[in-house]
Amino acid sequence: MFRMLLWKEWRENLWKLWFCGAASIAFTAMLFRIRIVPDISNCMLISLVQMFVVPVVYSLDIFSGEMSNRTIHLLFKIPVRKWMIFFSKYIVTVIGILVIFLITGVLMEFMAHGREARVLYLFKTNLLFGLAGLALFTWFCAFGCQSRSEAGSLGAMFSVFIGWGIAYFWATICEVTWAALFVPYSLTELGADGIVVMIFLQSLVSVMVLVIAFYRYASIRRYL
Amino acid sequence: MRVSGIIHQQICQLKWHLLACLGLIMVLPIEEAIVDLRAGDDYLSSAMASLAIMFSPLLAGLIACANVQGDLNEKRYIFWRSKPANVKLLITLKYFIGLVASLLIIACPVIFVILCSIIWNSEGFDRFVPLPILIAIMAYSLCFACNVVVRKTARAWLIGMLIGCFVLVLPFMLPLNLKDFMTDVMLLTFGLYLTIILVVSAAAFLFALYAAQHDWYLKTNLRELLWVGTGLVFILLMLFSSQVANIKVLCEREIDAAGTNELAYLGNRVILNGISYVDIDNNKISLSHVAPDPDTGLVWLAWGESAYGREGYIAQIYPDPRHGGLYKKVGDEVYSLVIYAYCSEEISGLYEKVYLRSYRFAEDPQPRASELDISDCLMDRINRIRIAARLIDNILVVCVDDSCIVVDVADPNELRQIDEKINVLKDVRWHLEYEDRSKTFAVPLVPINDINIEERIRLSIDLIYRFYGSIYESSIVDIHDGKIAFFSASQRDVARFDVTSWDDEKIYCRFSAARPFTILEGMAGAPGRNGRTFVKDQKLYCYEDEQLMVFDVSLDRSIRKLGHFVRMDRNIEDIAVLEDGKLLLCTSWSKRGGIGHHRQRRYLYLLENPE
Repeated sequence: MFRMLLWKEWRENLWKLWFCGAASIAFTAMLFRIRIVPDISNCMLISLVQMFVVPVVYSLDIFSGEMSNRTIHLLFKIPVRKWMIFFSKYIVTVIGILVIFLITGVLMEFMAHGREARVLYLFKTNLLFGLAGLALFTWFCAFGCQSRSEAGSLGAMFSVFIGWGIAYFWATICEVTWAALFVPYSLTELGADGIVVMIFLQSLVSVMVLVIAFYRYASIRRYL
Repeated sequence: MRVSGIIHQQICQLKWHLLACLGLIMVLPIEEAIVDLRAGDDYLSSAMASLAIMFSPLLAGLIACANVQGDLNEKRYIFWRSKPANVKLLITLKYFIGLVASLLIIACPVIFVILCSIIWNSEGFDRFVPLPILIAIMAYSLCFACNVVVRKTARAWLIGMLIGCFVLVLPFMLPLNLKDFMTDVMLLTFGLYLTIILVVSAAAFLFALYAAQHDWYLKTNLRELLWVGTGLVFILLMLFSSQVANIKVLCEREIDAAGTNELAYLGNRVILNGISYVDIDNNKISLSHVAPDPDTGLVWLAWGESAYGREGYIAQIYPDPRHGGLYKKVGDEVYSLVIYAYCSEEISGLYEKVYLRSYRFAEDPQPRASELDISDCLMDRINRIRIAARLIDNILVVCVDDSCIVVDVADPNELRQIDEKINVLKDVRWHLEYEDRSKTFAVPLVPINDINIEERIRLSIDLIYRFYGSIYESSIVDIHDGKIAFFSASQRDVARFDVTSWDDEKIYCRFSAARPFTILEGMAGAPGRNGRTFVKDQKLYCYEDEQLMVFDVSLDRSIRKLGHFVRMDRNIEDIAVLEDGKLLLCTSWSKRGGIGHHRQRRYLYLLENPE
């Protein structure tokens, strides 16, 4: 049953993969060809935009779509556990985000091979931005899994962006280094010390956030 | 249907979206203002407000989609189409009500910052803020048109944003010779961008009107066709686009060398590390030894005799042989000119003697050709010494601390002092302040009458603003068609200062243009205060660490970036502009691989000079 749910989510969200993948490939190809700014800057620019846009695209109707279309009633009547419904959505999103970032990173490496950046630098940078985007999406799940409209989802996602933005500025301005370790944006610092520790910590936090998100999603029926 | 009724209905429909957007756009400026207030820096928020305004096109698109979706989703669409409503009027009103609402939202942080800057008398926005607002208008129009056709908020918003991004990048793909966003777009051809933005906005609005009138609804069949069409347009554009701003590498060659690479001029030829001539043939770099013994060459001419030849003294050498040499060719003989300043080992830093020496390239173990004692320049006996020199035809101007000596070097075997000016550079301000940009300021003119006035001005400015730099081989002053200008680089920008007039004692200068470094350039390490800057043939070259940037300075009122060269992990050590305009670049790469294991490689690049 879980495989069927995964298949359903995959089919429903395939357009997002196509859309984000095509847009990412197009803009990567364009910017890395015309080279208005150095490759490293192009990579940062594309990765930064992806980090914000790809989670937004996935978050728009991943949960709220079921509510606005009223299909959530049908979904909850299927004899499956709720964690399967929730995690099928989450896993499909994770796969989608990772595929988009991997494709873009490989394309960047291919186009900029032997040019300005050291080997695999662009790929690693893009992938770290992807991980940050994934962490941001995970946080969105906790806040936006009960939203009933796309606008609500968008609001929840923007709130996560801005909230962590404020936390990041506070942590850097006030030099609270331990706090910065928990901010998803810190993952984008490729040269940062202890990047492995940071990834590990954020994974732990993400697991906890997912538990909260699942709890909230499972209690949706009360509000329907 | 009454117009006022429609307006009222639209505002009611949008109120929650407007409030949400207002909250999103104002949270960062208010947060920054509170942080600044707590830190005791007044209630300021310009940086975060600029950031919020940068993201305003996203919110404008969101308002547009909410606006359209309010009446064009399935159920509502049937409802209002059944009314005796004028479709064009309704869509026009919807468009402008949403547009005005989004502009009001975007205006909030602007007004907030303006009020803060008036009350606390501080710096407001920079002049580039109107651009995101214009882009927001375009994004709004595109999202509006897309939602009329697509009728799904999320997809319409995404497609609108995608088209918006594409339109913004498009001018760089067309053969318009746009290379620099800051100059070409923001200063020179802003009209073109403005036209593109306004035309696209108007076209999107008209398209939305037409689509709503004819009930166009993009469902399934047409979608694949659109994907294919978009793909074909993209491939065509990719075929016709070309590289824009990166400097083309014509040749790259690894070289064997130790220490720091340096390039020096000897007549028309370039010498690498004082050992090898660098020759270019068909864009290939070839090296040939200056001397039969490759371990000597001219490099030891630059070092001259041992720097520590005098017991009990430490010598400072100029030009620093690690960074270059001052060579002169007379007939077939090659000479180097070197300045030695000696300080006692006992009283460190107290310089006692300064000599100008010439050395002849020969197999003679003692090749000193001539020596001139210029110790009179040492007036103050301060705990440091400044040395600079420039060769102008057969005249060598040597500056030590605040004094200048003029030497005839027509025959390097017999150096002859012509003139001596003591303490002429005393009490000079050695750097440019940001405040200098708002007024005319004066620079002392070095009182040396043996060179023409243009060279005097060039020398004076270089001495004052590049005293520690390698003024023997390059200059920051550009003289062209009787106009004299000089340039400075900082972490923020490169700036141009025009020489407006001069008299017997002073040169009067005025700021005329600046080209700020963008955030994206900063990511790759834009040349800052420690970067090296020089001008040659109306091009400004700035380099530091990994990046070289070339600017066109032929226009009086602007500095236009022509290109950049970046190599990660490589340190740009020296650069030479060849006679045919091509660039020769030395870089080094090093990596520490454990204790005592230090790998180092050196490279020579031949680059096409961007036009």
